[in-house]
Amino acid sequence: MDRPGPLWVGLALAGVAAVALLPVLGNEYLVGTGLTVLMWLALTPSWCVLSRLTGYVSLGHVVFYGLGAYLVVITWQQWPLWLAVPAAGLLAAAFAALVGGPALRVRGPYFVILTFGLAELVKFSIMAAESAMGMAARILFGAPDLLAVYWMMAALALASLGLLAWVSGSRFGHGLRSLRENEEAAETLGVPVVRYKLIAFVLSAAIPGMVGAVMALRSTYFVVGQVFDPMVSVTVIAMALLGGGDGVRGPIFGVLFLALLSELLWAQAPLLYMILLGAILVVFVLLVPDGLIGLFQRWRRKGAAG
Amino acid sequence: MKLMATRRRSVVASIAAAALALGSGLSYAQADKPLRIGFSMARTGMLANATPSQLNTYELWREQVNARGGMDVGGTKRKVEFVIYDDQSKPEQAVRIYEKLITDDKVDLLLAPWGTPFHIAIAPVLEKYKFPVVGNTAASVALRQVKPGYIWFTTSAIPDRIGTELTAMLKQQNVKSVAVLSNVLPFTKEIKNFVEPELKKAGIDIKVSTEYPPDIKDMTAALTQVKQANVDAVLALAYPGDSVLYAKQAKELGLNNPFQFVAIGPSDAFFPKAVGAASADGVVTIAHWSPRPEWKGSQAFYDSYVKKFGEDPDYLNSALAWMSLEILETAVAKNGLDKEKIRATIASDTFETINGKVKFEGVQNVITPTAFVQYQKGKLQIVWPANIATGKFEAKKGW
Amino acid sequence: MIDTLLSGQLLFSALVTGSLYALVALGLNLVYGTMRMLNVAHGDLVMLGAYAAFWAFTLAGVSPLWAAPLVAAAGAAFGVALYRGLFRGMLAKVTPSTAGKLEGNSLLLFFGLSILMQNIAALAFTPNNRAYAYLDQVFRIGNVSMTANRLLVLCVAGGVCVAVALFLSRHVAGLAMRAVIERREAASIVGVDVDRVQRLSFAVGFGTAALAGVLMSMLEQFSPFSGFPFTIAGFIVIILGGLGNVTGGLLAALLLGIIETYGVALTSANLRSVLLYGSFVVALLVFPNGLLARRLVTR
Repeated sequence: MDRPGPLWVGLALAGVAAVALLPVLGNEYLVGTGLTVLMWLALTPSWCVLSRLTGYVSLGHVVFYGLGAYLVVITWQQWPLWLAVPAAGLLAAAFAALVGGPALRVRGPYFVILTFGLAELVKFSIMAAESAMGMAARILFGAPDLLAVYWMMAALALASLGLLAWVSGSRFGHGLRSLRENEEAAETLGVPVVRYKLIAFVLSAAIPGMVGAVMALRSTYFVVGQVFDPMVSVTVIAMALLGGGDGVRGPIFGVLFLALLSELLWAQAPLLYMILLGAILVVFVLLVPDGLIGLFQRWRRKGAAG
Repeated sequence: MKLMATRRRSVVASIAAAALALGSGLSYAQADKPLRIGFSMARTGMLANATPSQLNTYELWREQVNARGGMDVGGTKRKVEFVIYDDQSKPEQAVRIYEKLITDDKVDLLLAPWGTPFHIAIAPVLEKYKFPVVGNTAASVALRQVKPGYIWFTTSAIPDRIGTELTAMLKQQNVKSVAVLSNVLPFTKEIKNFVEPELKKAGIDIKVSTEYPPDIKDMTAALTQVKQANVDAVLALAYPGDSVLYAKQAKELGLNNPFQFVAIGPSDAFFPKAVGAASADGVVTIAHWSPRPEWKGSQAFYDSYVKKFGEDPDYLNSALAWMSLEILETAVAKNGLDKEKIRATIASDTFETINGKVKFEGVQNVITPTAFVQYQKGKLQIVWPANIATGKFEAKKGW
Repeated sequence: MIDTLLSGQLLFSALVTGSLYALVALGLNLVYGTMRMLNVAHGDLVMLGAYAAFWAFTLAGVSPLWAAPLVAAAGAAFGVALYRGLFRGMLAKVTPSTAGKLEGNSLLLFFGLSILMQNIAALAFTPNNRAYAYLDQVFRIGNVSMTANRLLVLCVAGGVCVAVALFLSRHVAGLAMRAVIERREAASIVGVDVDRVQRLSFAVGFGTAALAGVLMSMLEQFSPFSGFPFTIAGFIVIILGGLGNVTGGLLAALLLGIIETYGVALTSANLRSVLLYGSFVVALLVFPNGLLARRLVTR
């Protein structure tokens, strides 16, 4: 894991500056765009902590998001936000701790669909519970404004990237990678495979929980089905895969690419944007199989060689 | 494609007007600038199949207004151009779209999106920028909690009133026992929450009361239970998706109860096509509009919709969309584009619409009654309340 | 209650639901089994098949019965074209070490295709709901009422599933496909033309999806975005039954149909989805490789 060169440090600083200056310079719409990008920057690296490093691809990442949102909604105007948001992260992490043990015994594509099924199970369980309690929908009036939400999300994005960077470079991260290559071999070499998987799973859950909690503040009307949206899980995977690579840079590339592309498309080509998006995805996968990181590395190598 | 055609047409119109102005030496600078009206509509995602009835109505209106020379803006006519974005069936996206329309695209007027969650989601944005919007396809008791000011809700199909009125109608039809089947989604769940206590108060026996999740694929078990209960009325509080499922499976199992109420779905032209016209006959659903001679423009609206789209309008959503447009038109004709004046007019005037008079107190429409319609010989007739009825309730004779 | 459970009515419903799930899952299983690719666009193929049947019926008056084989063939042709155009190249370059990347990339590729199919359909056909009434007469056999089109779906879907299962166990080409599913490298050593098998599984996979769409169009309403629930159902079924295991898939589909009807009858409609997903999750936690697990060699 090479230390980031001056190029990367410069880019990182520019990124931080952009995030800090946007609310000052931009109008409401641009800040909203920034919030969206920050949200994906918080969700995707946390997913990578488990799924990229261990190879256990989760298609149920939205379950943590939804649990966090639900906690904020049911404690609305009873718990102060500085309590509810971290509690949301804790709830998500607790859920991961609870199901992680048995769930992580399942491997490969079975794990993928298991996580999906788990997210749907939680969604429908909450739906059944809400209706048993006589609840139709929940309204949140008096939510903090866009700027407050923006700063909270910026903090979460920073935390998520920091988490991935730290795990990626640590001995724990190396252990995770070893079990990705060959779980049985890693175990015989003394890597505490079961414990490591579970820790990664729990770590990957806390931040999405808080992201869900914060995003709940943006929508005044809470409907269970819409918050546990499978497309969130799919988008996270798409962004990570588009970015490629193993560390922090991949998700950043992937998020910026897909989020900004989608933003540009829906604003400029309102009717065709989804078709364009689909086409770009297809072309991208065929031409850039190593993700954006791979593209960048190839370009750099070509530059160095030629 | 329509959006681009709209722009092209307006551009041509503007050029033509400018040429005319130069030729005649008069300045039409204000009049030839198109009036930009923005809104979001779910064109992709799970709700995309529900929005056409509203979007079609908006398009029909724009066509008619432009054919008349344009929308009357405080005395001057200006051609209407739409700025439409797809909210992808996500209320958060609708929030962003309205923020963009107001602060980035700087549109002249706004129209409402489709659906309750979307109306409620954008209310704070409208409040913040003091931009009035006449809502239409939103119905929830939660609407009353929205701060009155910049959004109004035109419909009378509010769940608590539906509970009272439906019970009254059942009582009038001498219904002694009912079965209630409800989708857990907000609108139908709200109706269930209000109708059941009303039924109990009226001494009507609720023999079956069950709920189901929105992704249900088979209702056989629940409907067998309903069949065995042998009730006078079945209240299928369904959303459009499961309304068709209910009808088809009720037909298969032979649920021949004389009073069949299906909450949402049958008001759309799609329903009889999906279940067959014979099966649709007799179904009672929520709507408060039908072409009536007493309501000016109602028949004309119906005819022009059928002519342009080749099918009936949605008696609930399309009518509401049209009403909200009429209200906006009147307010803008009177006040031009001054938002505070428009707001004051909408908040206090009584409007004439294709559904009769409409007046808002706070956010709610207090004149239009909560009503029900029934399919009779392939056409929807208002069967409740009596003072606006266009037909009498007829018992359903099987599917 | 007991008489409800024992009556044939619930069984009929369970079989209809189960058979349609089974047909949808079949193609998914074959594509995964032979190529280890998760086709997340599978449900959208079902949707396109439904549209084909709808337009054939409403514009040309062609009954879905006649349209079915044509639409299935068109689906198969589409599958072969896609294989030749996009996937063959991708699959040829794969080595055991890059297999993981293939899975990820194929996921993205199918996802992109899914977006394309849904939105081109929305642009071309409008997002409106579509449905038509065909063969919707109800008749009784004993104390079971059946709608004619539901019985038809049961027979056709069930028949095709059984036919494919027989094909895989009796016909030479089917055995070759099973060989590729179970042990890919060994199969190619023994002389199986892996490229041909892959092409065939794309053809059968896409063809059965399109056929499922035709059948579905008689029963339900659909729109350009109603494919996703079928994709989900398909995945639940093939995972539950064991990946690449066609018989397992059939049984899993039937099981889900049974939970949907009998499970609800025994509890309440409110718990329908909780039961379905709950059973799936619990079953997988107990049987990590599916109910009828046969450990496949993963590349």
